[in-house]
Amino acid sequence: MGDNPNNTTSMIRLENVTKYYKTFPAVNNVSLEIARGEVFGFIGPNGAGKTTTIKMLATLMLPSDGRLSIGGYDIVSEPHEVRRIIGYMPDSFGVYEDLLVWEYLDYFASLYKVDPARRGRAISDVLELTDLAIKRDSQVMSLSRGMKQRLCLAKTLIHDPEVLLLDEPASGLDPHARIEIRELIRELCRMGKTVLVSSHILTELADFCTSIGIIEAGCLLASGRIDDITHQLAGHVMLEITVKGDPGPCVDALSERADIERVTCDGRAIRAEYTGDANEVDELLEYLIRGGARVLSFTRSEADLEDIFLKVTRGVVA
Amino acid sequence: MNISNPILIKEMRTRMRGRRSFLVLTGYVLVLSLILGLVYLVLSNNAPTSVVSSAGRYLTPVLIFVQMGLICLIAPTFSASAISSEREQETFDLLVVSLARPSTIVFGKVGASLSYLLLTLFGSLPLIALTWSLGGVALGDVAIAYLVMLVAGVTYCSMSFMWSTLVRRGVFAQLLSLFTVIFLVAAMPALAMFFTALASNFSGGPSQGFINVVYLLMRTNPFAAIAYLLFGLPMPQGVWMEKVPIWITQVIFYLGLTALSLFFSLRRLERVRKWL
Ligand SMILES: Nc1ncnc2c1ncn2[C@@H]1O[C@H](COP(=O)(O)OP(=O)(O)OP(=O)(O)O)[C@@H](O)[C@H]1O
Ligand SMILES: [Mg+2]
Repeated sequence: MGDNPNNTTSMIRLENVTKYYKTFPAVNNVSLEIARGEVFGFIGPNGAGKTTTIKMLATLMLPSDGRLSIGGYDIVSEPHEVRRIIGYMPDSFGVYEDLLVWEYLDYFASLYKVDPARRGRAISDVLELTDLAIKRDSQVMSLSRGMKQRLCLAKTLIHDPEVLLLDEPASGLDPHARIEIRELIRELCRMGKTVLVSSHILTELADFCTSIGIIEAGCLLASGRIDDITHQLAGHVMLEITVKGDPGPCVDALSERADIERVTCDGRAIRAEYTGDANEVDELLEYLIRGGARVLSFTRSEADLEDIFLKVTRGVVA
Repeated sequence: MNISNPILIKEMRTRMRGRRSFLVLTGYVLVLSLILGLVYLVLSNNAPTSVVSSAGRYLTPVLIFVQMGLICLIAPTFSASAISSEREQETFDLLVVSLARPSTIVFGKVGASLSYLLLTLFGSLPLIALTWSLGGVALGDVAIAYLVMLVAGVTYCSMSFMWSTLVRRGVFAQLLSLFTVIFLVAAMPALAMFFTALASNFSGGPSQGFINVVYLLMRTNPFAAIAYLLFGLPMPQGVWMEKVPIWITQVIFYLGLTALSLFFSLRRLERVRKWL
């Protein structure tokens, strides 16, 4: 694992994990390691197997094969120890509508055996953290969807777990609320927690994850620290080209070349992946102009996460 | 049972606060009072004064039987949706990943139903005090009748809890619980009666073993237990456990059922990862 070869610091560990639903492999031979303090983005399109993996980690489901452990505790044989150190937020979750907000949190605090003397403090803290302090005495029923989501996150934090498993914590939220959740996860990261957060929107995770894993159809396609993964694609230069008039001929011309790997065009801008020598890219521009293209702009950028995602998932972005 | 059980506390908060528990309790006491009032009216208008003056002898059994019937109807609904409803409102996962042990869940949920059952039984105490003051029935017998009702309620609650761990849909759990109770209180006597009718056709009368079985079946029935207690059912000579009051064996049988139901519920919850 990148600059962290010492395995003892890995907090979450999956070894050849497979999960079958009947005969359908929802998770297929996935191996993964997440170091302590890492914010791990688990990315994949719908039906990729993210929820299935997280549910196994959350001790809600048994793997068909393979081993999973969190903090050194085995998921299958030591679920109680695992539960003590994890906070799990499901993708579809319910709240007890007929409780008050503080009662809801008090319920989970006592389920997690938070010391009664410290319970009031713990409730205030998580309410503060999730920005729900003013709703303390409201009925859960009266909260908006986004507030319920934050309440569920608050309950996930109530026993101060070391590891957080958040399954699409921002789904169904408005842009503003999404940013708030993102800030919250950053805050948790600063508090030194290990976070596994899933999403099918890569850009949602890109700017605060320290490592990512990309899963599709049950298979882990790539995983590691973000810089490592971008490094794997280093040498590959992403080009963004705009031309005057119809971009079609230009796209065709690019596709003919052996050193161009993927060409996409969204009307005006053409994006292409150049596998040749980065210092020879001027030759490509010359080639295009010779071909009659009226190039308006020609910029190169390092491959970012979006490119990696598109590359490894063969363009299946949900 | 641990009073600081978080699930019990939460259930109390939600159950007792809502209007529903208030309505159920009020309805329960109202139905009992109405039936009592009707029986008393009929008695005082038609029966000779000697009967009316000892109306307690009739009213107390009526009250207890009606109450036993109501318990058969409402106790199975108390915890039949305990687990199913958590699954339906998607809170069950949250409960399972918490540090709650299966025993915490079982005793919290069943305990909450029991407190509800106790509430309804207590609600009828003023009425029974009234009819008992009219005389005719010993206080000890009334107490035992309440014990029989309580144990029956506990059993039905436990059985319906077991169904709620087995069936995904709350409605089905409710139905299954009700069917189980109907089977226990109605099908067994029906079977006993059927056998008795059959036996009357036997040449030379029913064999002793046959009578034994019929009376054993009767010993599983709380209504028979109460009837034996308040009126004294005739027991044939030489039948098994001739001298043992029916209510004792019935209560033991029901406690056994309760233990079995709770045991299976615990087992099921311990293996939650296999069926979630
Ligand atoms: N209970 C189940 N029974 C049978 N198949 C299931 C079950 N749950 C999930 N699956 C299948 O397993 C695969 C992975 O599902 P999973 O929920 O893990 O995907 P996901 O990555 O979380 O997708 P999403 O982004 O939609 O949440 C899907 O093909 C799905 O159809
Ligand atoms: Mg999912």
